Amino acid sequence: MVWRIGVDSGGTFTDVCLFEVETGRVEVWKVPSTPDDPSRGIAQGIAEGIARVGAAPGDVGYFGHGTTVATNALIQHKGVKTGLITTDGFRDLLEIGRQKRPDLYDLQTEKPPTLVSRDLRLEVPERVHHDGTVETPLDEAAVREAVRTLKAADVKAVAVCFLYGFVRPDHEAAAMRIVAEEFPEVFACASHQVAPEFREFERLSTAVVNAYLGPVMQGYITRLAARVKDLGVTATPHLTQSNGGVIGFDAAARLPVRTVLSGPSTGVVGAQAIGKLAGIPGLITFDMGGTSTDVALLANGECRLASEAMVHGYPIKAPMLDIHTVGAGGGSIAYVDSGGLLKVGPRSAGAHPGPVCYDLGATEPTVTDANVVLQTLNPEYLLGGRMKVNQGLARAAIGRLAEKLGMGVMETAQGILSVVTANMAKAIRVISVQRGHDPRDYTLVAFGGAGPVHAARLARELDITRIMVPRNPGILCAMGLLLTDLRADFASTRLTLLEPAAGAATEAAFADLAAQADAWFAEEHIPAADRRITRTVDMRYAGQNYELPIALPEGPVTQASLDALAEGFAAAHRRMYGFVAEEEPVQLVTFRIEAAGSVEKAEFKPRSDAGPDASAALIGSREVWLPEAGGFVACPVYDREKLDAGNEIAGPAIVEQMDATTVILPNQRAKVEPYLNLIVESV
Amino acid sequence: MDIAVDPITVEVIGSSFASIAEEMGEALVRASYSTNIKERRDCSTALFDTAGNTLCQAEHIPMHLGSFIGLLPHILKRHPVEEMRPGDVFCGNDAYEGGGTHLPDIVLAEPVFVDGAIVAWAVNLAHHADFADRGHAHIYQEGLRIPPIRLYRAGELQKDVLELILLNCQVPRERLSDLRAQMAANRLGVERLQSLCAKYGTATVLAAGRALQDYAERKMRAGIATIPDGVYRAEDWFDSPEITGQMQVSCEITVAGEEMKLHFEGPPQVRAGLNLVYTALVSAVYYAVKTVVDPTILPNAGLARPLTVTAPEGSILNASHPAAVNGRLSMCQRVVDLVHRALAEAVPDRVIAACNGACASATFIGTHPKTGDLWVYLETIGGGYGARHNKDGLDGVHVHLTNTSNLPAEALELEYPLTLLRYELVDGSGGAGTHRGGMGLRRVYRAEADCRLRIDGSRLRSAPWGLQGGLPGGMGGFTFSDGVEPFSLGQGALKKGQIVAVITPGSGGFGLPSGRPKDQVARDIAEGSITATAAAEVYGA
Repeated sequence: MVWRIGVDSGGTFTDVCLFEVETGRVEVWKVPSTPDDPSRGIAQGIAEGIARVGAAPGDVGYFGHGTTVATNALIQHKGVKTGLITTDGFRDLLEIGRQKRPDLYDLQTEKPPTLVSRDLRLEVPERVHHDGTVETPLDEAAVREAVRTLKAADVKAVAVCFLYGFVRPDHEAAAMRIVAEEFPEVFACASHQVAPEFREFERLSTAVVNAYLGPVMQGYITRLAARVKDLGVTATPHLTQSNGGVIGFDAAARLPVRTVLSGPSTGVVGAQAIGKLAGIPGLITFDMGGTSTDVALLANGECRLASEAMVHGYPIKAPMLDIHTVGAGGGSIAYVDSGGLLKVGPRSAGAHPGPVCYDLGATEPTVTDANVVLQTLNPEYLLGGRMKVNQGLARAAIGRLAEKLGMGVMETAQGILSVVTANMAKAIRVISVQRGHDPRDYTLVAFGGAGPVHAARLARELDITRIMVPRNPGILCAMGLLLTDLRADFASTRLTLLEPAAGAATEAAFADLAAQADAWFAEEHIPAADRRITRTVDMRYAGQNYELPIALPEGPVTQASLDALAEGFAAAHRRMYGFVAEEEPVQLVTFRIEAAGSVEKAEFKPRSDAGPDASAALIGSREVWLPEAGGFVACPVYDREKLDAGNEIAGPAIVEQMDATTVILPNQRAKVEPYLNLIVESV
Repeated sequence: MDIAVDPITVEVIGSSFASIAEEMGEALVRASYSTNIKERRDCSTALFDTAGNTLCQAEHIPMHLGSFIGLLPHILKRHPVEEMRPGDVFCGNDAYEGGGTHLPDIVLAEPVFVDGAIVAWAVNLAHHADFADRGHAHIYQEGLRIPPIRLYRAGELQKDVLELILLNCQVPRERLSDLRAQMAANRLGVERLQSLCAKYGTATVLAAGRALQDYAERKMRAGIATIPDGVYRAEDWFDSPEITGQMQVSCEITVAGEEMKLHFEGPPQVRAGLNLVYTALVSAVYYAVKTVVDPTILPNAGLARPLTVTAPEGSILNASHPAAVNGRLSMCQRVVDLVHRALAEAVPDRVIAACNGACASATFIGTHPKTGDLWVYLETIGGGYGARHNKDGLDGVHVHLTNTSNLPAEALELEYPLTLLRYELVDGSGGAGTHRGGMGLRRVYRAEADCRLRIDGSRLRSAPWGLQGGLPGGMGGFTFSDGVEPFSLGQGALKKGQIVAVITPGSGGFGLPSGRPKDQVARDIAEGSITATAAAEVYGA
């Protein structure tokens, strides 16, 4: 027997998802995380998990892992002491950035700390122009001197970034060679290796973040690989990147900057796989946890890949799933501000003291407290009976807010949900309407601990008529790891006007990228039959500064494929901005290859239809406050574990399971589909 | 006619207004062509009620509030509402008749119709980097004056109007493309607001709009009430490349309960582009008071209600037709400094030391050697942000009324015949103090083809002051390579290969330098933000 294992290591829990290839059996195991060294918790989770299913370490055929190590090191500024070698005159660029302050009106505003202190940012004479001509050759002696200075300062990583390093990388390459000669033990990377694209500050920032995180990630990966090996697991470990694909540990250790969104990406990949099984290609993911919520949109089963994003205040040029995060979740605190309006978040009660109803000393009500008062959440206990809650305390806390607002307690509790729902809807508008997609055409996939309880209201706010709640909403990320392909992205910027002569340049650019992709395929041991390549070109009207990614048809680059690019661009521009400037020349900016290697993935098997009768799963009834029905309404409560394929539930109703509660509103109807996902539709 | 809307619905509709304004802003930036908008984001978007009150402004540039405040009354003065049709788009820029604060800011406004009636307006503004290399003796020299007129009539482009505008612009291709992006942004705003009305009912949306203004007013009043009653005064000196010597400006702030009166005095308006129209003055004041009172107050018209702002008519701070206004921003930055300095006496922990007090800019104008087309490139350069009562200021950022981005060297050099030689912080420009002021910037350009250049800035002859014993920061300046002919009133020319350096002011320190911890002084020295000799002098280190 062969088991595939996915491990998602979060701040509080490490989730292990085990899948037996022959039988399709899926088991889930949760252990507490060990934030000081997450590899300990992971090893323990794997050991316990495989013991629990009666497997041996040698039975593990695949090990996939999503991690927050890189992102946490960035948030907490726990990277290594880093040095920078850059073009003369530009050492302060890292600190100046785009010369903007983060907040317009707050006089206490702060920029995120600069990751390389000013005394470790060293300038060397060299200068290249935009057309690749060299005005000042690289002063190699100055580079050598700079490296020695950084070595004496005991830095652990060095970033090299010169102006136009993406056009003419040889100065950066020469500097890297000197770093290797003088300081072979240091982690080093150059901007043309990490992000060979134009706009110097963003490229510089990406190279610096990569260097800053490099040794941290290398150390972590080395420890984890050793622990897993010690367990007797022989499968090659893989890590999720921000683009949703997995790569081998070695590649991840070289480019840690590509894993900063590793955690949330796995949830999107999980939702994507489940959507595919259920035959639903258009999805909006709604992953609501305790302190924050991640949303993403999948059109035709694919999530848009952003080539750049601001992560914890640092611009990063790396392929990342277009995931939008809002600082509100179940633990967010509700309060009345000085102008008398109800606000929720971004302050969160966290795990301690947590919501008022946990009775751990908190006095400020949270979103969870509102749900407990409204009885959308179980008013006596949570987590399948593991945790007692005190509804009286929650009601008293919300009562204090109600008094300030001059409203009733129940209306105030409901109001907290309305405000949260409006915040979430705003986030979803960013990834849908702002990108030219109508949310009404999509299915909302609700997961995370707090997603399913809020999904129905959120869907109504956005006029979305269908919701999908996965079988295990709390561990979708770990499951996503069993469903993902190997994936790497390659890009190069070559500004080229879209005219017949562009064919040769396009062909040449893609030939280079394809060679890089082939080398990667070989490194990952992916057989030719399992290799897949997608080519896109970022395009714009010459003069614009934001590009739209357009797919290039397969095969050799011909006039027909250039025409297809032109048509694709016009259509995309019209969708985004509502107009096409026919007389304006179009420019090709960045050429991209996405290389995917299919791996054997978990395959879930459908269950046969057990008929619409859900009464076998009915475990009781409780009064739930539903303004849609005018007050408290007795709602049947179902046990998710006992629901079978084909079962149907008419709203209003509540479905409980260990890690989530699903609310079905009046005029909604839920049906369990063959893979045991719950589909809630408006009727 | 007013219907009661509960506080939660108000909050929910308020989120939607913000979401719509932000979406308009994104659309405008992404579809635009000129570097000033696409990279530097020198634009703003807003929604207005039919009385001309701001419902919501996307947070881009506080200075633009002024152009928004004045616009609608001017439209309504010229155009009867009953003659307006869906798809009408009004365009204007004039500081005296068009609601603007200077001519490059072109505003487009489109009425939002629901059930045959106008319920609100979608408005946006873009700073068109044009009208360059002009005179500034009076506004007629500064560019084309556009009163609010229809650019579109019931959805139909008024070609005659467009052609008139474009012929008066030096870079018409960029203007046309940016105007298209502005149109697209307003179309979005109109559609989104119509959907919102369809969802909640127009009456509810409008009532929520009024409630949000009342809400901003309540927060403003609650905040003012926390400032001790009293009369507070401050004065400062203003300079510019456009004038010789310095001019004194002052303010007197009276705080009484929940209300605040702010009176400003300055010299008579000048024959230079330094004058403020009243809406520019109040933009600066609203910004300044909001930062002190409560930075979270919604940017809508309600926040202005507890404030009374005055300045003598015909003075540089409240100019009359035909005063030139192009470079109003530096003076507006000083208005903010004045308000902070005056209130420092009452609430020192809630204000900051003087920021760079300018909006240093360089505008290059030339004929492209390859195409023969005119090119205009404008950029504004940040500087020091004043020290706070509890921490250092920020180095090399845009301050107060502006927050535009810089242009990457790799984008600049591709588009214009210029090479950027250095872009760095100015050592020693942060005012010493327990908390150090932010440092200014040095940006050095080399012309790769002959061009004309206009430079602007302030704090060239006076230093940004510190607070509570903090020392002043470094002054600004411009330096040229050998052979550049002396500039007159900030205007001159560069020949191919000649170099100009723009040096922006730093900012003031907060608290006595002797209070600065030794390790922080040591770090300043190690990082080169102050020399060891200078540190020994001011910190006694």
